[in-house]
Amino acid sequence: MLVVKEVSKQYGDFTALRDIQLEFETGLYGLLAPNGAGKTTLIKMLATLLYPTKGEVLYNGNNIIDMDSSYRELLGYLPQQFGYYKNYSPKQYLLYLSALKGISKKEALPKIIELLDKVALGDVVNKKMKKFSGGMVQRVGIAQALLNDPKILILDEPTAGLDPKERARFRNLLTDLARSRLVIVSTHIVSDIESIANEIIMIKNQQILYKDSVETICGTLDGAVFETSMEFEQLESFRQDHVLLSEKQEYGKMIVRFIHKETPLVDWLPVQPQLEDVFLYEYRDETNGTVQ
Amino acid sequence: MYECRKVIQSPIFLGLFLLFSVYNIYLIVSSSDHKEELKIVNELIDTYGRDISDTSLAQLDQDIQQEMTQLKRSAGLEFQSVHELLENMSLEEQEAYSQEHWNQIQQLAVKEMYFNTARSIDESYAGIDIQATGEGEVRMYGLSGSSASYLLQEYEKLDKRFEELVKNGEQKQWFFAGKAYFMHSFLFQTVFRHIIIESLLLIVLATALITAYEFEQKTQLLTFSTKRGRKLMKDKFSASIAIAVATMILLLGITLGTFFIVFDYSHVWSTSISSAFNWEYNFPYIAWWDISVGTFLWLAAGMVLAGGLLMSCLTFALATVVKNSYIAFAGIALFFVAVLLLPSFMSKSSILFFITGYNLSQLLLGISNSFMGGGLTGSRNYEWLTVSCWTLIAAGICFAAYRRFTKTDIG
Repeated sequence: MLVVKEVSKQYGDFTALRDIQLEFETGLYGLLAPNGAGKTTLIKMLATLLYPTKGEVLYNGNNIIDMDSSYRELLGYLPQQFGYYKNYSPKQYLLYLSALKGISKKEALPKIIELLDKVALGDVVNKKMKKFSGGMVQRVGIAQALLNDPKILILDEPTAGLDPKERARFRNLLTDLARSRLVIVSTHIVSDIESIANEIIMIKNQQILYKDSVETICGTLDGAVFETSMEFEQLESFRQDHVLLSEKQEYGKMIVRFIHKETPLVDWLPVQPQLEDVFLYEYRDETNGTVQ
Repeated sequence: MYECRKVIQSPIFLGLFLLFSVYNIYLIVSSSDHKEELKIVNELIDTYGRDISDTSLAQLDQDIQQEMTQLKRSAGLEFQSVHELLENMSLEEQEAYSQEHWNQIQQLAVKEMYFNTARSIDESYAGIDIQATGEGEVRMYGLSGSSASYLLQEYEKLDKRFEELVKNGEQKQWFFAGKAYFMHSFLFQTVFRHIIIESLLLIVLATALITAYEFEQKTQLLTFSTKRGRKLMKDKFSASIAIAVATMILLLGITLGTFFIVFDYSHVWSTSISSAFNWEYNFPYIAWWDISVGTFLWLAAGMVLAGGLLMSCLTFALATVVKNSYIAFAGIALFFVAVLLLPSFMSKSSILFFITGYNLSQLLLGISNSFMGGGLTGSRNYEWLTVSCWTLIAAGICFAAYRRFTKTDIG
């Protein structure tokens, strides 16, 4: 369906992405990497906003740049950060974007009302957006991405500014949408996609590190994640020798979760690796601790 | 329409438009103290026809004499000419006349002035030496070499046109006395220059605003990833042109509408723009073609429109590249001044001194002398060549800027 073929992107001497090879079918893909890893660059190339320095992106075998508007009419895109016209209401703003998406006013109006209801903005359809909170603006952004009922939906950090209730609602919405289309969600928040993504894509050192199911990716740390408790005074030296995934205080002791690939001590409790463990392990700061 | 709305809803644009319109109305109304005197020309045209002939002048002379006799009788005065009467009149004497008599005296004085000017046209035009004027210009500007030869050639052509003009009698048509009222300068220099500067400010502001709007509102990632994509810039270009045309038509309409309501031009539309009465300064207006005041007005408005549209195109190109309305506005303002001054940096012996004068700034600011011979921009082909060349330049620049934009990353 959508193929990223040996794509590289350079800004002068700086390489943002190198030889990216990806294939997307219908379903939900989570693009997971820390900030600055190149997620947004990849997504902007999929949205035809950036041109690859090398390689190409193909949709059903056709270069998306050559397809031009016939590709973009299939696309719904929510950027990480986006502006809006402060004196416009969400209805006016979405009407303008509908026009740019080639949707007639007659067709767009009921769709706009439906989408604003879906993102819980049904009661502020005609209010000026300058009075909106960050979360409300983000929800207008989500609504605009769905205006043209896109076959390809690309969302860059979509949960930024949303409260926990809105995030849960949004995850449900994504699960529904991904049943009949390709949905790519870029995020650095593991919990946003861990439970709903069919596949996770992780980028490291400008290249694809993983493109697999959550289970398979977590399987890379099978038998290497442990939890143990210790006195607070012992923690500093433990940090030096191990890659710590989390630390918490419980009943006056420190409970730590960490990676260990050699023979474990008897009182260490082996635990099931989670996607967050892989994320923290792969993107760990090399100066903090070593894997044994 | 969506793109136009971005400007129409801009308080700065609307505020400036309103301010300029009100100022133009004030400018015209505050300079209208002589508007009643201008109506005398309409009476002259009604009574004696537009063309001045020996017969019509004799008739006018006779009528003035009759009116003078009546005035002398009713007011108990003795004078040879109204001019002489007014010159020797003290303030006390003036106050002694009834308002009716005073109006009569003034009207008669104006008529006498028109009669004397009309009577001296042949003599005044016989004293004009076009070639000598050309040589004077060469000396005044310090021209030499090819630029001096070029200017003298232009004056040679103008000499032939001058002979034709005199033969046609284009100069012998009634118009408002130039040396008394300076109506040509007031309309085509003062009023038009205001319209031009104001239109350009509004057009450049509107075009820069529309073109860079998405980047300044940070909506570029949303708008350029829609189906319309980067072709949205084409819509922005069309919207800029539409706003430019509407702005100029409205500003021209409001300003000229006020002007012609205040000053009655109803009888002089068909008068030749080269009429001897239009002569204001040292050299009469000598149009390259036999064009009427009405036609000249349309041509001037057309040039304002063309110049405004070309400036809008150049602004669009710059704003497309810099993606910032403030920089685009400042850049175009700088360009306008730079091309205006460009000829002064050229060698006065080089033809480049004239070629660089074929620019939009000089064309627009010198609109009162358009289609006229004489001066540095008085070539017969100056207007159409300047507009044509700059149309090509603007089209090329716009196309290049759009092509570049379609191949540029949008971050």
